[in-house]
Amino acid sequence: MRLLLVEDNVPLADELTAGLQRQGYAVDWLADGRDAVYQGQSEPYDLIILDLGLPGLPGLEVLAQWRAAGLATPVLILTARGSWAERIEGLKAGADDYLSKPFHPEELQLRIQALLRRARGLANQPTLEAAGLQLDESRQCVNRDGVDIQLTAAEFRLLRYFMLHPQQILSKSHLAEHLYDGETERDSNVLEVHVNHLRRKLGRSVIETRRGQGYIYAGSAA
Amino acid sequence: MKSIQARLSLGLVAVLVVAGLVLAQLTLWLFEVGLQRYLENGLRKESENLLVALVRGPSGLQLDERRISAAYQRPFSGYYFRIDFDKGTWRSRSLWDLDMPKPAAPGLSDSHELGPEGQQLLALRADYRRLGQDISISVAQDYSPVREGFRRLQQIGLGMGLVALVLVLVLQRITVTRSLRPLERARQQIAQLQQGQRSQLDAEVPSELAPLVGQINHLLSHTEDSLRRSRNALGNLGHALKTPLAVLLSLASSERLKDLPDVRAQMREQLEQIQQRLARELNRARLAGDALPGAQFDCDVELPGLLGTLGMIHGDGLLLASDVPPGLLLPWDREDFLELLGNLLDNACKWADSEVRLGIAPYAEGYQVWVDDDGPGIPEGQRQQVLERGSRLDEQVDGHGLGLGIVRDIVEAWGGRLALLDSPLGGLRVSIDLPRKAR
Repeated sequence: MRLLLVEDNVPLADELTAGLQRQGYAVDWLADGRDAVYQGQSEPYDLIILDLGLPGLPGLEVLAQWRAAGLATPVLILTARGSWAERIEGLKAGADDYLSKPFHPEELQLRIQALLRRARGLANQPTLEAAGLQLDESRQCVNRDGVDIQLTAAEFRLLRYFMLHPQQILSKSHLAEHLYDGETERDSNVLEVHVNHLRRKLGRSVIETRRGQGYIYAGSAA
Repeated sequence: MKSIQARLSLGLVAVLVVAGLVLAQLTLWLFEVGLQRYLENGLRKESENLLVALVRGPSGLQLDERRISAAYQRPFSGYYFRIDFDKGTWRSRSLWDLDMPKPAAPGLSDSHELGPEGQQLLALRADYRRLGQDISISVAQDYSPVREGFRRLQQIGLGMGLVALVLVLVLQRITVTRSLRPLERARQQIAQLQQGQRSQLDAEVPSELAPLVGQINHLLSHTEDSLRRSRNALGNLGHALKTPLAVLLSLASSERLKDLPDVRAQMREQLEQIQQRLARELNRARLAGDALPGAQFDCDVELPGLLGTLGMIHGDGLLLASDVPPGLLLPWDREDFLELLGNLLDNACKWADSEVRLGIAPYAEGYQVWVDDDGPGIPEGQRQQVLERGSRLDEQVDGHGLGLGIVRDIVEAWGGRLALLDSPLGGLRVSIDLPRKAR
């Protein structure tokens, strides 16, 4: 999952980035509204966290431009201006959720999880379920037939992406774009290694390879 | 305070009545004096005729019957005389057996009354000397027809005066109403202002009212401006404080403090208190309260956005319905009312299983707002406690707590009442009575 964080307060952005990375998200950080308008549209983000009080261009304006350009990525607004009048304004501009500062990091993580699932049309449950597997995002482990299986951070990120996009062919470059932030060097061999690790832990059939196309998540039911 | 209309009418009536009475009385008096002067001339001529009719007869002085008017012969004809001289008194035949007293002094006098018909006499006494004798001739004329005429004239005058007065009052009322129409319009507009149906007074007014209306409009926009400025400043302050607070909260739950659980718990608790206090106080300070007379909340415009927002936040599984009469305008500031409803509904959504209902209904003295949910509700014994908890910030508040605290602040600022009841949906009903602005 690749997120864009648009926040002009450096300490907060640092904290959030660190926290989100611990949760297995690839995070790109921008501080200026004008940059955000461009990068939000040019990079394939899964979710955008947008502060409203931005230098360069106000957050609501950024959001309006994204939506006008047809960007459908879920946007979570983060703001210190938490009155209901302002919330309604934000959601009218096209935001998908609203979190007012200050907030608990866990609250933000829950909202992100919920938004990502909602964007994929999944029910908002404590664990992510797809084709016989249950992924516990807070503990970063997967449950199959009542047995917990521990995952490394990289495996967790990969499996979560697969489980959020079941029955969908995902190419290596697509996976790389969504699993790593803009600064990490993308090496498709690393992806193959992680896919193999997952297969070893969960069974060969959990991720199928479509030659020349990419991978498809099949889960344990197949 | 009496109305200008009433004052004008009262003043006009007083002036008209006093002036009319004085004028009418004066006119009558002058007329009567003139008439008496004219009658006096006639009487003097009569007395001179009588004097001429006095002739020397065989037994001294004698009245020549042929020379006196026939009216003096007919009893109670209204024309009388008496002639006093040294040897006695002669009275006209018309007096019959009545006595007409001799006026005390020469000249006109009008105070005699003569029975049996109660004739009022106007008498003239003239003293002469003729044929070597002092002769005093008193001639009298019945004055009562004239008196009667005057009385009738007075009555007609009074009646006409009354009619004129009524007519003047009606005309005056029409004129005054017409010329006070701008005032009346301004009064209606101020009433509309209070009900939130307009935000400014119409500036198209006569020059006398223009400064007043201009000043009111200026004050209104000034109040609105300063409210906006202070809200903006509060927003900035909130922003300045909340972002660092978010950093601290994030730090407090970071991995770096994993080994110091006490510090972590302490920090989180303190930060939470700061956060709640901040949220509550900033919200309280943002309230427009009664400062804006022109404020209004258009339910048709605002509610769909609010319900949509809540639906988005709380997911699609929740049925959010509202029972609000169409076209309802509420006389409160938009942001305040959104804050009130937002917090109420957010609370209800947090606790509801599947359904939340909002109702707003106007009644004679105010508006009733209620929010129902089908959640677990609150046992009757604990409701008071929940209401109070909202106002105590040193306690851990969650769910029905802080949101209700803000709601309570708003309701109190508007002089309303907040009550927790059983909902027909099975959960909690938060019911709010808001009185209409009485000013």
